[in-house]
Amino acid sequence: MNIEIREMQERKAKLILSDANPTLANALRRVLIADIPSLAIETVEFHLGTIGDEAEEKEYQSSTPLFDEIIAHRLGMIPIPTDLDLFNFREECEECGGEGCPNCTVIYSLNKKGPCTVYSGDLIPVGETDLGVVDDLIPIVKLSDDQAILIYAIAELGTAKEHAKWQSTSGVGYKYYPEISIDSDKCDNCKDCIDICPVDILEESEDGEIIVSDIEKCKICKSCVETCAVGAIDVKGREDKLILRYETDGTLDAETILQKGLEILQEKFNSVIEMVEDIE
Amino acid sequence: MIIPIRCFTCGKVISNIYEVYQSRVERGEEPKEVLDDLDIERYCCRRMLLAHQDLIDELMEY
Ligand SMILES: [Zn+2]
Ligand SMILES: [Zn+2]
Repeated sequence: MNIEIREMQERKAKLILSDANPTLANALRRVLIADIPSLAIETVEFHLGTIGDEAEEKEYQSSTPLFDEIIAHRLGMIPIPTDLDLFNFREECEECGGEGCPNCTVIYSLNKKGPCTVYSGDLIPVGETDLGVVDDLIPIVKLSDDQAILIYAIAELGTAKEHAKWQSTSGVGYKYYPEISIDSDKCDNCKDCIDICPVDILEESEDGEIIVSDIEKCKICKSCVETCAVGAIDVKGREDKLILRYETDGTLDAETILQKGLEILQEKFNSVIEMVEDIE
Repeated sequence: MIIPIRCFTCGKVISNIYEVYQSRVERGEEPKEVLDDLDIERYCCRRMLLAHQDLIDELMEY
């Protein structure tokens, strides 16, 4: 399988897989969705009861309009920047044996007094300063006049196989590479196909022939095939060449995700080879 | 209630643009234009914002 990078932005990528097949493309797709490790908040400790403010001489209640469970769940969904070279899975951590240490966990504190909206940007990493959350403007909860929130949240590595909060990609999908062939001998230049194409990729060239402007935009909907009265146009999807696209949520950049994904896929293939060799 | 952090279907984070979306729609822009401009491409994510009813302010009174 050859991978040609057609577009590689920080949070978005488009790849052309040639000399491939749908099975292989789907294997890569599933690895990108479910097997890339990333950080997400897993444990949340709430301060219960009153929260005092000595400077203001005022007492706040730790109750909020949302249940603590919902807040904990919302915290879990927030993307946290991940450096895969620096972190171990907590259960596999050799430094601490799963107790939690700077090599496997990141601790955040959240301390806010109402009335206000609590945003993801209010999560302050304890100790490390460069691990602030990706998006500062995710609303977590709103607090009214004498409500306050005091939380410690612990993030750790995981994969989306266990929980979707560790899923760092979205919209991962592939399609067959489209092929449009136009038989200029049959074509009667009615231009119906140009009008009906939902992605507007058919146009008329200077010498009056129908040409395709951006073949990769084609959805293989075959509207043009159906509308052509003389049957001059044919649309096919190639099974040996595919277009794969994905987005990331900012925990990892698109390039790192692809490298890590291919690495994991290679490991999986190797383990299958080993298992087959053991049978013989 | 309060805007869900991610799209239910694909998992894209959509809550970070909710307040921008809301204020722009209130100022009279078409939701379609705002969503296109904010790069919300798929219809699963677009419905998260389009169909959302923010009820937390009403709930806060109790
Ligand atoms: Zn550790
Ligand atoms: Zn979506």
